[in-house]
Amino acid sequence: MNSRLPQMTYAAVIAGVFAFPALAQAQITEYQQDQWLHTAAITSHVGNVTGDGSGAEERYRRYCQVCHGKMGDGNGESAQWFEPPLYPKPRDFTLGVFKCRSTPTGTLPTDEDLYNTIGRGMDRSNMPPWNTFSEQTRADLVAWIKHYSPRWQTEKAGPPIEIPAEPEVTAERVKAGQEVYSRVQCWKCHGVTGNANGPSASTLTDDPGHPILPYNFHEGRPKCGNSDTELYKIFMTGLDGTPMPSFSDNIKPDEAWDLVFFLRTLQSYPSKAKEIAEQLHLKPLNPDGSLPK
Amino acid sequence: MRMWAQSLLCRKVRLVPSFGAALALVFLILASSQPAHAIPAFARKYGLRCSACHESWPMLNFFGQKFKDNGYQLMNDRDSPIWQNPSYWPATMRMTPIWHRVSTNRNQVDVYTGDTVTGTTEAKITSSGFDLSGLDFHTAGTLEKNFSFYLLPSSDPTGAFHFESVFARVDNIGNNPWLNVKFGKFELDNLLSEKRILTLTANGGIYQLYHFIPAGDNNIFGQIGDNQLGAEWMGHSANDRTRISAALLSSNDGSVLLPYGSESYSAFFAASQAFDFGKLGVSRFGGYAMVGEAPTQWLTNGGSGAPIPGSGTGNKGYHREGFVGQIYFGEHADVTVVTQHGWDSAWFGQGYGDFVDNPTATCANSTGFPAPCNNLPGTSLAPGSRAPTWNGVLVEPHYVVNPQWILLTRYETIRMSQQSTPGTPSDLGNVTTYTLGTRINPFMNNRAGFAYHAEYNWFHQDGTSPVTGSNLTSSELLFGFDFDF
Amino acid sequence: MKHGYKKSFGIVLAVVVAALVVTVVDQRVKAAGEGSITGSVKLNGTAPHMKGIDMSKDPYCAQQHTSSPATLENVVVGANGGLHNVVLYISEGLSATAASAVPSDEPSFDQKGCMYTPHVMAVDANQKFKVTTSDQTTHNIHPLPAATSGNIGWNKSQPPGAPPIENSWKNQEIAIPVKCNIHPWMHGWHVVVKGPYAVTDDNGNFTIKNVPAGSYTVTAWQEDLGTQTAKVTVAGGQAAKADFTFKAK
Repeated sequence: MNSRLPQMTYAAVIAGVFAFPALAQAQITEYQQDQWLHTAAITSHVGNVTGDGSGAEERYRRYCQVCHGKMGDGNGESAQWFEPPLYPKPRDFTLGVFKCRSTPTGTLPTDEDLYNTIGRGMDRSNMPPWNTFSEQTRADLVAWIKHYSPRWQTEKAGPPIEIPAEPEVTAERVKAGQEVYSRVQCWKCHGVTGNANGPSASTLTDDPGHPILPYNFHEGRPKCGNSDTELYKIFMTGLDGTPMPSFSDNIKPDEAWDLVFFLRTLQSYPSKAKEIAEQLHLKPLNPDGSLPK
Repeated sequence: MRMWAQSLLCRKVRLVPSFGAALALVFLILASSQPAHAIPAFARKYGLRCSACHESWPMLNFFGQKFKDNGYQLMNDRDSPIWQNPSYWPATMRMTPIWHRVSTNRNQVDVYTGDTVTGTTEAKITSSGFDLSGLDFHTAGTLEKNFSFYLLPSSDPTGAFHFESVFARVDNIGNNPWLNVKFGKFELDNLLSEKRILTLTANGGIYQLYHFIPAGDNNIFGQIGDNQLGAEWMGHSANDRTRISAALLSSNDGSVLLPYGSESYSAFFAASQAFDFGKLGVSRFGGYAMVGEAPTQWLTNGGSGAPIPGSGTGNKGYHREGFVGQIYFGEHADVTVVTQHGWDSAWFGQGYGDFVDNPTATCANSTGFPAPCNNLPGTSLAPGSRAPTWNGVLVEPHYVVNPQWILLTRYETIRMSQQSTPGTPSDLGNVTTYTLGTRINPFMNNRAGFAYHAEYNWFHQDGTSPVTGSNLTSSELLFGFDFDF
Repeated sequence: MKHGYKKSFGIVLAVVVAALVVTVVDQRVKAAGEGSITGSVKLNGTAPHMKGIDMSKDPYCAQQHTSSPATLENVVVGANGGLHNVVLYISEGLSATAASAVPSDEPSFDQKGCMYTPHVMAVDANQKFKVTTSDQTTHNIHPLPAATSGNIGWNKSQPPGAPPIENSWKNQEIAIPVKCNIHPWMHGWHVVVKGPYAVTDDNGNFTIKNVPAGSYTVTAWQEDLGTQTAKVTVAGGQAAKADFTFKAK
């Protein structure tokens, strides 16, 4: 417990320092948002479904507003009761910053990314999978949440990252993935065994300054989905607004698949990669993050 | 809840299988009070508004249905109570103060008031006043991830309690949403849930289809609307578009202490599939069937012919089956349609069945002399007795003005297709009822529910007035403040 | 609260606009040729104590500071009370052309010993800069521009030996905090200005170069102590003088 104190101090210092520029910024007004709602940008296209933001207000009020707030700023009446890190705060749509994207860090997500998030929910948060909605309702809500942030008025969604076809999982690839895990130091936060107990794990904060936990590979699904492709996207695009950075500058696409396979060996879910790791008697990384001998 | 419904027409006692009386069963079924489920305990737990799960509280929408099918879990890995503040207790209470005006055209009354000798005739009685519903004390939620429970002690308006619903459920066995097993007393897997009905009057506050028993029929069971004791397997797809269930039930109509058959079981099956119709939204179509047996023969004790509870044998069959559609036309309009075909063994049709509750009733048989309704060895039915059958349909359109205001109406009709006793008027016991209602939720939050409620119901049944066997008509106007917290 | 804040913001805005108009009208004549503004920034009072940083979570980082322990860098005072890491820029008086000119040099923001070097990097809007790493430990570089600034935040990992990340900021923003989530003590600033700028050296001295002749308001920004302004008139080819003093908190 004592060892946490210094970090708490830094967190407080950082939060204090960072509060200053935020205050100097003009606030978004409801009037502005209403103007944005009636611009061409506030539609969505998912498959062959076109979402209409202006018709989604009642559904937003019915399902979303209690957490995300009337102005989309994440200050709904329930938000005050969510205590990070166990219950992350609701997303603030006015920032236009989203975790789950197929697009590079710092860019807006595609409509489909947002659509998928609504249907998938956010594990280990209060966001449930709204997968009972019709495709139209989900697309309409995607359009609706875009009217909360000025970013959608001036920017387009980023170009989705290119993902090469998934190769066959092999012992070599699993071992190569472990090397990547060691080299780019995933373990700093996620821990050498994937238990979310790396040296920096306890100090993490998200962009608004709330404490946040790294993903524990042994417990549940990653925030942005658990398919191989979704895992790939998580570390190649980063989860914007959180400490999870994009590794696209440092991991080549082919290596990225190796890392996906290695990550599978950390999870409790059965997978071919996990079987291979067991056959190999793959040892975890050393406590200092180096590769096992 | 809805116990005021019994006020004029309903007596908890089952009536002798005379034409006039038996059908009373139809609307009185409410004898067992039937609470609506709405749990701000869940809204509190998850910080969601009532409207997230309820199209209009207490009726569920598809998201709420999925939540229920998952064992009261959002499936966000925060479902176990260990994630809640230790002081969190998943409990909620619902009650409804009301004013209502109830009128029934033909009640059995003495010809001369106070004169018990001259006999009885029929008269219209209309009364109005302030009243209360019963109290529902719901506790429900998860004991641990994938272990859920429901406990509902419920009282009538006088405060007399019973266990309306009690079950524990193991959910998503092996992380498989197709494997959920529930044990206890629970509502059958009716897509249109009577426990979540949006109306509150005696006859409009139940679905006639869920309780219909033909005039003169004395089947103790066959009511798909009552909570039943049993075990249920239920499975569904991850997004709940496909759902299927099968339940094995004791044929006790939810009564505890094994009051009827020594070995009488029924089964209930339901399956449905939802489809995404683009801008119209998601609509669901399905079917249900109840197939079962209930006793007609009882051991007796004491020479008086008094039946021994739990000794019933001589099981006879019955079944109910139908289709259900929940059809949406955009986010504002929807209509629910339920059909039913019902069949009871001729034994039930002739009044056999509920001997335990009515030991002095008499039934026709092949000897031509009335005898106690106990199918003793050697008893055979009167010649020509047939299995009563009927068909019914329920249509309930909703207009959801906004998430806080719903308008609804319901039309239900049940038509006998075969009477048990030859020569009986073919329309005897037919039911027609209309209900109109609206509920306004003046606020939406994640802690409590409140609805201004207004409703009118008109009910008509052919040939079942208590003395003359004329048509019976009743109506009820009701205003209430429906709340839970 | 919120409304009161908005109202006062509006008043401030109105005053600033009025001041701008006055200044612009005042600027009818400009001499040809470029001069500079030099001066110093000092702290008046006792320098606040800068806490030491516990880097034991990452042994690599700790090893880089065995001789002299690392401290926070919020207020760094040099000889004669000179304030380090103060950004000076021209907040009023620049012509549109001068304001939009983008220098061709490419400042770099290095991660060294698990600290940012420099702690404060000033750049022009649209000026390219590099983020480099000299460390043998993975950093993630995570600038957090304000939501309404029009600048877009990002978050990229930079393991040992990774190539520099090249980027730029679109709009003026004073200032963008930068952090590394892996090393929570690491924080620095990107100060995005329009037009010529300078950052004070260890002893609080600065020179803003390439300033066209004219009358200007120069603003000095310090991360903890706020801003100071001074009116300066630059003659063609000459060095104008401007000194600033911040009061210790």
